Amino acid sequence: MNLILFTFIVLLGFTSYYFGRRKAYTIQSTNKRLTALPQFYGYYLAIWCAIPAFIIFSLWAIFEPTIVKLLILSDYSNQGYLDDELNLIYEKTKALSRGQFTGEITPFIEASAEKYLSLRSIAQSSKAVILLSIIIASVAYAYKKISSNSRTREPVEKFLKAVLFTASLAAILTTVGIVFSLIFQTIDFFKVIPLFDFVFGTHWYPAKAFVRDSSEALDPTMYSDTFGAVPIFAGTFFIAFIAMCVAIPIGLMSGIYLAEYASVKVRQYAKPLIEILAGIPTVVYGFFAALTVGPFLKEIGNSMGLDVSAESALAAGGVMGIMIIPFISSLSDDVITSVPQSLRDGSYAMGATKSETIKKVIFPAALPGIVGSILLGVSRAIGETMIVVMASGLAANLTLNPLESTSTITAQIVVILIGDQAFGDPKTQAAFALGMSLFLVTLCLNIVALRVVKKYREKYE
Amino acid sequence: MKKNGVKMIKINSKNVDVFYGKKQALFNINLDIEENQVTALIGPSGCGKSTFLRCLNRMNDVIDICRVKGQIIINDFDINDKSCDVVRLREKIGMVFQKPNPFPKTIYENISYGPTIHGMAQSKNEMDEIVETSLKKAALWEEVKDRLHEPGTGLSGGQQQRLCIARAISVKPEVILMDEPCSALDPIATAQIEELIDELKKDHTIIIVTHSMAQAARVSQNTGFFHLGELIEHGSTDKIFKNPENKKTQDYITGRFG
Repeated sequence: MNLILFTFIVLLGFTSYYFGRRKAYTIQSTNKRLTALPQFYGYYLAIWCAIPAFIIFSLWAIFEPTIVKLLILSDYSNQGYLDDELNLIYEKTKALSRGQFTGEITPFIEASAEKYLSLRSIAQSSKAVILLSIIIASVAYAYKKISSNSRTREPVEKFLKAVLFTASLAAILTTVGIVFSLIFQTIDFFKVIPLFDFVFGTHWYPAKAFVRDSSEALDPTMYSDTFGAVPIFAGTFFIAFIAMCVAIPIGLMSGIYLAEYASVKVRQYAKPLIEILAGIPTVVYGFFAALTVGPFLKEIGNSMGLDVSAESALAAGGVMGIMIIPFISSLSDDVITSVPQSLRDGSYAMGATKSETIKKVIFPAALPGIVGSILLGVSRAIGETMIVVMASGLAANLTLNPLESTSTITAQIVVILIGDQAFGDPKTQAAFALGMSLFLVTLCLNIVALRVVKKYREKYE
Repeated sequence: MKKNGVKMIKINSKNVDVFYGKKQALFNINLDIEENQVTALIGPSGCGKSTFLRCLNRMNDVIDICRVKGQIIINDFDINDKSCDVVRLREKIGMVFQKPNPFPKTIYENISYGPTIHGMAQSKNEMDEIVETSLKKAALWEEVKDRLHEPGTGLSGGQQQRLCIARAISVKPEVILMDEPCSALDPIATAQIEELIDELKKDHTIIIVTHSMAQAARVSQNTGFFHLGELIEHGSTDKIFKNPENKKTQDYITGRFG
């Protein structure tokens, strides 16, 4: 029903565009000058079609369900039902009307379902009638109104601006929404678990929270020594550090090679090849780390008499580093290439060699961009999930030995949210608290990155 | 300038051809540059005067598709020969570019760059002295002596160009190449640079590419006129401007084309 209506409105929009333009041509043919190009008249009419349609659609979307629910439940008022029970009745009614109800069907519910269906169809047909009549009226009004000297260009331009503004607003509001959903759950979590225990506790064992029966009252003391996040923060930064130890030197050097030394031909093939690395799904890196690198390191370690865990921070961090190489190499290549040729010429003309020029002139000039690319790599490393879940182990050991298994914030969120979980349970909320910390860390990184880039930008010119 | 009545030739180019890929940009250039004189290269855009200038310190090496043929002899040595050390060559032959291109470093570091890479100063004091004399020679010292450790990019356009000249003379080159050094500057900064060029020719041989005929007439003792990759005429500036032999030179100088 909605689809047909929607198609019809789109067709109507095209038609009004056509009529608007035709009217403009007619005016033009009487040798009057138009205030805008004919297509603006067309767009103007189409907007007069689109805006009322949008308003009516949203009004129905907002109010129809509420009104229908009120009408259905009015039959049950004054019968002493609780709010929860009323909601349940309404859900049963809806399920029955869709033919998906499997429980016992009472006559009451059956009657409600019939009423529900009839209400819905009334709502739908009234929507269609109101929609079409209002649209046709508004388009007709606008059609009559436009004349040789009416302003059509400005409203059309304003409309486009409003559409673009709405799009960017949607992106921003989504971010804000995500942050708020994190904040509220996090606050709930810290009502049970003291912030101090979370930030400074050294023992992370969320599985312990499973022991609780949900019918029991919440007893905060039983969670002491359960949600101490130090081991997983340490693990996160440790694995990110290992990753950056791999990614920064290799990425930077390959970026410099691509930008300064590689011939046009080599660059043409090498750059896309390196960028392919960035396109490999992280799951693939994950089992490369877990099934190839991990056991390989274990074997080497064992042959040297070292005790290496099959799931080690080194394997996860190393493979993560390889994953980040293309970001750093490709970005620093771009940054270095954009250093003006005049600086290179100036240095060569002084008799500097290529490596001296790179070291003393190009690298300092490109530094802000390079720092930016490195910080971007660090945020990737901290936020990376799949590789650590698969290759670094899930036990939150507090260790600085790269050969042992550790766990990270992201991996713990996965562990917590996989399988059975209950909302309002500290264990589930712990995931939000972790997500919040992750968000704060990457936010700080981004702020620092922006600061650094801004501070050095003037030197760039 | 004549020594014992004989002109001292600093650079002697013989049959120089330059190609960009398959396109020939310079045809058989034979031009002698006199020592401690200012030689101006003039001609319409795209005539090859900058290309020729860049041959003299092998800056064309930087361009992949560029090939240079012929001999360019400086101090009895062919710089196009395989045995030529480009680093040493560019130490002897400095260059100033069209757009001021100070490094994104401090004023001090801009000047000390050349002496450092050529290992010219043994101590901090020596380096300070080189920086000071270079800036003084470039008539910039008074303006920047209190802000040596501020970025060179913060100077005005004219000051930046004088900084680049100071950078070029910091390694005591024998020759300074200038590629339209005033084209990005206002008339006052241009006048300062021209005055400076006159001063510098005591110690250096200067070759300047310019679009401004008036500038060529003001600053140079010798002039070469390029057109479509060929050296049409060269000689003393007086003669080229007052009494050119070639019809094209005359047309260009009187503004009939170009």
